[in-house]
Amino acid sequence: MLACRALAKRYETDRGPVDAVRGMDLDIEAGCYAAIVGRSGSGKSSLMSMIGGLSRPTAGRVLIGGTDIWSLSEAGAAAFRNQHVGYVFQFASLLPNLRALDNVELPARLAGKGSRREITGRALERLADVGLDSHADAFPSELSSGEQRRVVIARALMNEPRLLLADEPTSDLDEQTEREIMALLRDINRSRGTTLLLVTHNLSLAAKAERIIHIANGVVVP
Amino acid sequence: MSAASSYRLLFGLAVQNLGRRQSRTLLLVVAIAIASAVTFAGVVAMRSVVASMQVGLSRVGADLMVVNQDALTNLTDALLTVEPTDSTVAADAISRAEIRGIARLAAQRILRTERSGLGGAGELVDLIGFDPASDFTILPWLSERLAGPMRPGDVIVGAARNLPLGSQAVIFGLPFRVYGKLARTGSGTQERGVFLQASSLLGLAGAVRERTGTLPPMLVPERVTGFLIQLAPEATEVQARFALLSKVPEIKVIAGGALMTGIRQGLVALLAGLVGLVIALSASTAVMVMVLFSAIMAERRRELGLLKAIGARRSQIVGMAVTEAALATACGGAIGVILGLLLLRLFERALVHHLGEMGIPFLWLDGPGTIAIAAACVVGAAVVGIAGALVPAWRMGRRDIHDLLWKEG
Repeated sequence: MLACRALAKRYETDRGPVDAVRGMDLDIEAGCYAAIVGRSGSGKSSLMSMIGGLSRPTAGRVLIGGTDIWSLSEAGAAAFRNQHVGYVFQFASLLPNLRALDNVELPARLAGKGSRREITGRALERLADVGLDSHADAFPSELSSGEQRRVVIARALMNEPRLLLADEPTSDLDEQTEREIMALLRDINRSRGTTLLLVTHNLSLAAKAERIIHIANGVVVP
Repeated sequence: MSAASSYRLLFGLAVQNLGRRQSRTLLLVVAIAIASAVTFAGVVAMRSVVASMQVGLSRVGADLMVVNQDALTNLTDALLTVEPTDSTVAADAISRAEIRGIARLAAQRILRTERSGLGGAGELVDLIGFDPASDFTILPWLSERLAGPMRPGDVIVGAARNLPLGSQAVIFGLPFRVYGKLARTGSGTQERGVFLQASSLLGLAGAVRERTGTLPPMLVPERVTGFLIQLAPEATEVQARFALLSKVPEIKVIAGGALMTGIRQGLVALLAGLVGLVIALSASTAVMVMVLFSAIMAERRRELGLLKAIGARRSQIVGMAVTEAALATACGGAIGVILGLLLLRLFERALVHHLGEMGIPFLWLDGPGTIAIAAACVVGAAVVGIAGALVPAWRMGRRDIHDLLWKEG
């Protein structure tokens, strides 16, 4: 499902180049729940950005379902991210001037596929999946942090992606909400067969994953 | 539903973004409105001043008159018509010489005759043939005229001739319609003259020969009585006179009022400067919009990164930012046009009314011209917004999504 080959990322800084990821090879099977763990600066977020098509690698390839995502054109890569990858970021990533329903509709409307009614119906289903269909008309500022994160998950699922990337998705949430969000993600992984890749520095969260990938100094630690 | 849906979405986002920071949007709209008002009122007033100047300063007469060197001239008046004389100049003498510094050139033929049939028996009448397309000294003095343009069978009469508009004037046995009448000029030739299109005067050649037994030289198509010249802003009278005398043989060059020539040239240069000022104003507004949108783009960095992450293309990001800018600036442009109309109203009350009372004509730009400038101001404001937002939006659209989401600056 997901394969990284000789993947590398180098940042140029005022103090010279920094190699965040060094020639990494990685394979993750379809439907797998994998956790990438490592200390701050280990390269896990850089790795996830390259896998998700958010940051161009300095070298190497990322293959999702056989597609080398970094060989796609700008428009092709945008369409690929839209259709095949869902993101749950560590920050509140909702557009503040849109209602919850509008935020969830965004990926489908950007793709320009389907009627408005069909898109709205699907967005309401996704909100129902995360238990927030009654909050469809609420603006982000009217939702709690946990509810906002659920809306983000609903949006990530809108186009039914094959890969769901969650980067520290519960870092700013209380314990109870954290458990609920992680249960929701795990349920999505199981019920939909969506490959879930979780980036975290929280080892107790990672422990629940089917596979744990340890990273240190930009390489996978056995 | 298709791509139109995504465009509707981005348009909606652009509109919503404008509403998010209302005070900043308002400031942008106000800034554009002020610039647009100044531009609109300035351009309309300037065009009106130019039109008025063309009439008003042309009434001052030509800068130079060129006649045959044997012609007798005794000028104390403004150069409104050439002097009646039988000495003529080749019709293409000046155009062939390619003299630099000539802005306008009007050829005239004057036939002074006592056998035209006009006026009392034996009365000397000056029949002046001119080309309305190149004329700049006769038509500005039109005080009344019939509707529509002057036709070949029409004549214009000087203020001293008592012929009503639309009446028939018979000249050398041929009927002409009195098309217009000139205001009092103080120039004898012009006040008593009868003005015809050059082709009409040449058309009298047969009748003149029949009545007088000769063909006056100015009725030969290749000859004219003389030329009236208006100098370009950069040309001096001395340079033009020297060039004419050195390149065109057997002519005499008579200068008009040097002071009025200087005033006219100075005003033309001033208007050119005002055009430059308007261009500079538009450019500085574009830079201001660019700076503002650079800040707006930087502030929305994470949102733009998020939109890109979930599938927005660079062109959609740029389109959204540009739409937002175009909406705000076009709105400012439209408000500016309304403000500009109020400014023009003040201008009219303060100055134009005063000029009218002093008998100085002020010609407002016509309705279609004003509407065209108003539309250009609104479109121009939108273009300034688009130009200002395009570069920062394009640069932001090119950035790595990871940088947009997580890096500062």
